[in-house]
Amino acid sequence: MSTSAAATLEWLLRPAAREPGIDRKALAGLLVEIARNVGPEVCAEPTGVAPVDPRLEQLRTLLLGREIEILSRLTGVVDDPEQLSAAVAQVLPSALAQAQNDARLGPVLAPTLEKATQSSIRSDPRTLVNILYPLIVPAIRKSIGEAIDQTFQSLNETLKHSLSWRGLRWRWEAWRTGTPFAEVVLRHTLVYQVEHAFLIHHHTGLLIAHVAAPDAASQDPQLVSSMLTAIQDFVRDSFSGDAQQGLDALRLGELRLWSERGPFATLVVVIRGNPPEGLHETLGAVLSRIHEERHQALEAFDGDSSGFADIEAHLAECAALRQQAPRRRGFPWIVLLVALALFAAAGFGAYRWGEHRHLRAIEQGQWADYITRLQTQPGIVITEEGRRDDKFLVAGLRDPLAVDPRQVLRETGIDPARVVSRWVPYQALEPQFVLERLKASLDPPASVTLAVAGSEIVAEGSAPSRWIDRARTAMRMLPAGGPMLDLSRVRNSDEAKLAALREATRSLREAIQAEEIHFNSNEPLPAPGQDAVLDRIAGELKQLASLSSTLHAVPRVSVTGHSDDTGQGTFNLSLSVARAGAVLALLKKRGVDPDLLSVRGAGPLEPLQPGDTEAARSANRRVSFAVGIEDQP
Amino acid sequence: MIPTQQKKVCVLGSFSVGKTSLVRRYVESIFSDTYLTTVGVKIDKKMVDLADRAVNLILWDVAGEDDMASLRLSYLRGTAGYLLVADGTRPATLDVALTLRKRVEADYGPLPFALLVNKHDLTEQWAIRDADLEGLRQEGWWVRPTSARTGEGVEDAFKDLAVRVAR
Repeated sequence: MSTSAAATLEWLLRPAAREPGIDRKALAGLLVEIARNVGPEVCAEPTGVAPVDPRLEQLRTLLLGREIEILSRLTGVVDDPEQLSAAVAQVLPSALAQAQNDARLGPVLAPTLEKATQSSIRSDPRTLVNILYPLIVPAIRKSIGEAIDQTFQSLNETLKHSLSWRGLRWRWEAWRTGTPFAEVVLRHTLVYQVEHAFLIHHHTGLLIAHVAAPDAASQDPQLVSSMLTAIQDFVRDSFSGDAQQGLDALRLGELRLWSERGPFATLVVVIRGNPPEGLHETLGAVLSRIHEERHQALEAFDGDSSGFADIEAHLAECAALRQQAPRRRGFPWIVLLVALALFAAAGFGAYRWGEHRHLRAIEQGQWADYITRLQTQPGIVITEEGRRDDKFLVAGLRDPLAVDPRQVLRETGIDPARVVSRWVPYQALEPQFVLERLKASLDPPASVTLAVAGSEIVAEGSAPSRWIDRARTAMRMLPAGGPMLDLSRVRNSDEAKLAALREATRSLREAIQAEEIHFNSNEPLPAPGQDAVLDRIAGELKQLASLSSTLHAVPRVSVTGHSDDTGQGTFNLSLSVARAGAVLALLKKRGVDPDLLSVRGAGPLEPLQPGDTEAARSANRRVSFAVGIEDQP
Repeated sequence: MIPTQQKKVCVLGSFSVGKTSLVRRYVESIFSDTYLTTVGVKIDKKMVDLADRAVNLILWDVAGEDDMASLRLSYLRGTAGYLLVADGTRPATLDVALTLRKRVEADYGPLPFALLVNKHDLTEQWAIRDADLEGLRQEGWWVRPTSARTGEGVEDAFKDLAVRVAR
């Protein structure tokens, strides 16, 4: 056919041959022949015919002029390949569309399409992969999954029974019936029974219908169906799953929960035993039948489950599914509940894992907060921080007087056990730290306050000179470049005290120098009634000694004995010495340090009152005191 | 009368307002409270007799959390109504109830609901002013003081809500 089509095209495209003109002789013969057919008497011979007659050409143009014109236009199109392609392109789609029903079209196009596809793949295979990916991958996945499940199921059972007594029996059966051994094994081992079928409304989780196998125990199916929905929601939420996906299967021991999801309702069956994978298909078919028949009622379901008797009939079909007569037991609801609980716990675990990542992000935030807070703390310099595995690490310098990083850590809420800290101690030069240090080393008296003023530390108040001296020393020891200590506002409290002490000493000294002890004539011991005077003087001396020691001085008291002018001079001199000695002894007896005292006899040479009256003589018989203060050696 | 009508009803409120106690004593239950801490919801059933029929309220006791960001609002999908539970001795729980109601309304539109102010038996510790509750009633809220301990108001509350969701 293609050859003849090519020939036609060849003929069509053949350049128009030069017209040789009409064979007039043959034409004449033909006309005579026709005439003879009409009238046999015609016997003219086509002789003497001129070979060329322009009138014939004229006749042809007259008769066929329009056709010749159309033909020449057509030939023009056919002669020009571009025009021809344009013309064919116009009709090609509709031609193909019309030819679709022609069985020959496929085989004709196939080789061309194959070649085109091959060349497309050769130039860039991704194009085709991209086109096919969304179509075939899910199908492949599902099909492979089911095939693998089936294979495993078959393999498992085959292996399990290949060498047992039962296995040998089944081998015999396989050999006898001519079926594959694996098939026989499956037929005998896949013993199951569907015990419950629930149809659950997606949107509300409410039960639309429920059917149980005749002797399966029944718990409240309404509660079970809602809880199943809740668990599905939980799993979906926790794993951010697609809203259209859900749990396919739950399994505990020989009890399985299979779930098939439709557009409005989910079919959940509880199966005891070992169901074949092909049962999924059966259940899926029941579910789609239910949706086909009661599409609108399911969509509009609002909790009223009356009027779903037909659906119950379908579910009863599911609940009747079984292979062999299984051993019947009460439906172990406890087991189902435990399965649900376990599944929930597993879901929860996974959810916790997701949460863990979330927590990690929270922790990261807390850590950043902790580091920022530390960085703003004076006396803390962070040199390194970060996360190592499950621990946080921070290292740097810390003034021992700075805030305790553990305290800051507690406030951020990070578990301290997860934080490794390495702090090297250093001295910060911030004024508040220098201040703290000075306070600790100088131990300022209550009358002095130390405070930070700008970049300096200022001491104010009054202090003893010893403290001021110490503070000056500390001031000189402060590191250069750091804050300085200003002591100019500290008054020396010792100076005022010294002045007061000196004044007290002076008045005491005067008081003592004004004292006198009186004697009777010729007596070396004080006259009666002088004890009180002695007591007073002893007190004053002791006070003077104590005051002087505060001033780092020592009083020197000269005790001078005197006599009147009666009697002999040598006697009077020794009497005056004796009187002074007696007073010294008496004062010593009253607790006065004798080292402070010295005795001297003046005889009658230093009278208090000159004259020879008895009153004058009596006044002159005395012991007097002179007080000098010496600096302590 | 065997009810053919079921309605999903969620029970919401702060932690320890007595939600679970309200539910536990007055309903049928087969699941343990551990579901609340694992899955975050526990399903119970309450049958309510109305004049002409009976309705099964399928109660979704959603775990109470004061941190509302962690409340799983997806559990409210398809709910016909909800019960907000507050603790009359802790005014903060009333605020939580108000916020919960706003969040539910934002996600699921207006639904019938009732506010149960629980622990009404603890009269001495009662800390919510009647005027506040009266204010809510003025706004059209169904407010009912209840006590899970004495049973005061509980049956009525379930009935109120059943009437409205089964309408």
